[in-house]
Amino acid sequence: MQTVYYLILVPMVYAAFAVFIVGTAVRLIQTARRPAHPTTLQIFPKKQPAWLYALADTFLMPSILRHNPVLWFFLAVFHLAVLLLIIGHLELFGDWPVFQGVPHEVFLGKGFVGLAAAVSLLYLLFRRFHAPVRDLSVPEDYYLLILLFLTVIFGSQMDWARRWYDYDVMGVGAYRAYLWSLVTLKPFVPDEILYSGHAFMLVLHVFFANLFLMLFPFTKMMHTFLALPMNLLKRG
Amino acid sequence: MDQQTREDLLKLFQTKLNRAMVYYLETCTRCGVCTTACHVYQSMPQARYIAAYRAEIVRRIYKKYFKGQGKLWPAYGEAKELTEAALQELYDAAYSCTGCRRCMVYCPFGIDTQMIMSIAKLLLVGAHAEPEILTLLADTSIEKGRSLDFFKEGFLQGVKNLEQKVLEKWKMEAEGKTVIPVDVEGADLLYVALAGAHSIIPAAAVFNAAGENWTLSFFEAVNFGAFVGDPTRTKLILDRIVNEALRLKVKEVCICECGTAYRVMKQLSGTQPFKVSSVTEVHARYLREGRIRVSKAAFQGQAITYHDPCQIARNGGILDEPRFILRHLSDDYREMAPDPRYNYCCGGGGGLVALGEDTLDFRMKSARVKAEQVQRTGASLLATACENCHTQLSDLNRHYGLGVNVQFLSSMVADALVVS
Repeated sequence: MQTVYYLILVPMVYAAFAVFIVGTAVRLIQTARRPAHPTTLQIFPKKQPAWLYALADTFLMPSILRHNPVLWFFLAVFHLAVLLLIIGHLELFGDWPVFQGVPHEVFLGKGFVGLAAAVSLLYLLFRRFHAPVRDLSVPEDYYLLILLFLTVIFGSQMDWARRWYDYDVMGVGAYRAYLWSLVTLKPFVPDEILYSGHAFMLVLHVFFANLFLMLFPFTKMMHTFLALPMNLLKRG
Repeated sequence: MDQQTREDLLKLFQTKLNRAMVYYLETCTRCGVCTTACHVYQSMPQARYIAAYRAEIVRRIYKKYFKGQGKLWPAYGEAKELTEAALQELYDAAYSCTGCRRCMVYCPFGIDTQMIMSIAKLLLVGAHAEPEILTLLADTSIEKGRSLDFFKEGFLQGVKNLEQKVLEKWKMEAEGKTVIPVDVEGADLLYVALAGAHSIIPAAAVFNAAGENWTLSFFEAVNFGAFVGDPTRTKLILDRIVNEALRLKVKEVCICECGTAYRVMKQLSGTQPFKVSSVTEVHARYLREGRIRVSKAAFQGQAITYHDPCQIARNGGILDEPRFILRHLSDDYREMAPDPRYNYCCGGGGGLVALGEDTLDFRMKSARVKAEQVQRTGASLLATACENCHTQLSDLNRHYGLGVNVQFLSSMVADALVVS
């Protein structure tokens, strides 16, 4: 079993990040090299400055707020939660004074960020079982949401175990050792992670996360990088 | 469908894949916010009328042939093969879409469904499955450009007949000037009308009242190449006008009330020594500069509302000028929508009105929400600045018993002229 754990925690992680980083870079470069559209694609009336409105469109999603406020709420919660979780993961590498603007133990939110992410993912998934969105959706839409949900639930579970149920065998120190070892290309998985009772939780979390990262560049997940350029086109 | 046809069509598909198009094809998250944007869906709530659904018809073909998942895991995105059946779906999608881009206003990424539909239209043209009448009309326009001498006499005679009507109505002294000048080299403004007296007579009256140094184009502005989604024909039709403008050395090309013609001329003619304007802008300019005066007497007692032609307003930027003009024509002007961007399409664009009787049933059913928008204003006069919108709105007026008087804005300006 430990061999399987190790395979998922080390080689598969390297493969996933390689595919994610190279894949995303290649796709973005390929797309950027295509010729620009010969004329404007903007929607009028013009709102100036265009770049500011494009930023607002991208990060505040005003048209979703206007036309589907419930969806907007869960999308906002989800994306904000993802941002906080990314920051939290960065803190598993080391301390970053800039993130301590709001002083906290690693993973701001005492477990509620993960919970919010999980609940909003369930909303996004369940809404796709209703017409008319159901008629529009393809398997990709369900696969990605389920993959994310599994990643979030296994990851959050580890945090909840630590925050709410005093399970602190797998501590921040052990993660720092593991993650740094990956970054410095001298992979090493501490025993606390490999042999603890909750090891399978981490392994499943990393497994689903790896799958997600590997799919990322080839799917609609590229909206992460393309949303801003597209809104710039729309705003002129 | 045989393999060669498929390969030829896919080559056509490839020509459309510039950076913006790839953004649009890659990024849709199928969030469904565009659902309530489309007038067709709002009038007839069926999944195939959702903007993203129409786009998916094209996108699933893209996934099959231009993405790895097409070969490795087609079920993932429901990648679709390009077959005769697919062509039928492309037809239904493309010609149930007027290209109004109201969906783009709602989309959090600003995906341009009209652009994606242009791929569908091009594939149909490539497979000879497009509505033939549109190609025929486009070819007629192109032929006129090539054999102008053949058409000149008839055109000039027709114009002479119209001059009488201009003089009768507006009793302006011609002062030795031609009432409707044609082919005048060195004129300041080239006015491109449509093949219809209503498109020429009122405009002539206003240009003359403003003392404009203008000339009438031999060609009609309408671009059937754009309706059928054929870039080559679109350009050839556009080029006739560009070349005439260059030959006559005009400073400004003024497009009549035709939405697609204005947008194509404005956005696709490239850098030229003349500027492009819409007749609505020019009339607003004349009013602002005091070159013409209008009286509110002409439309006394009528509540007026205005339908923004999509290609001129949301897609062309001319939103303030018509309102400026209407406020000079009436004290009772009412908006149809809280924000002009949210004005519904009339339901006749993208070539649908040009297809006439064949699309009448669909056009009436799909634009129910437009009729409701008009009705809610309580207006008695419905003004607009686009030929196909006028036809469609007149059809809607009849079909839904709206009891409004549908008018061209330019003709209202002419009717309200105060000629000293």
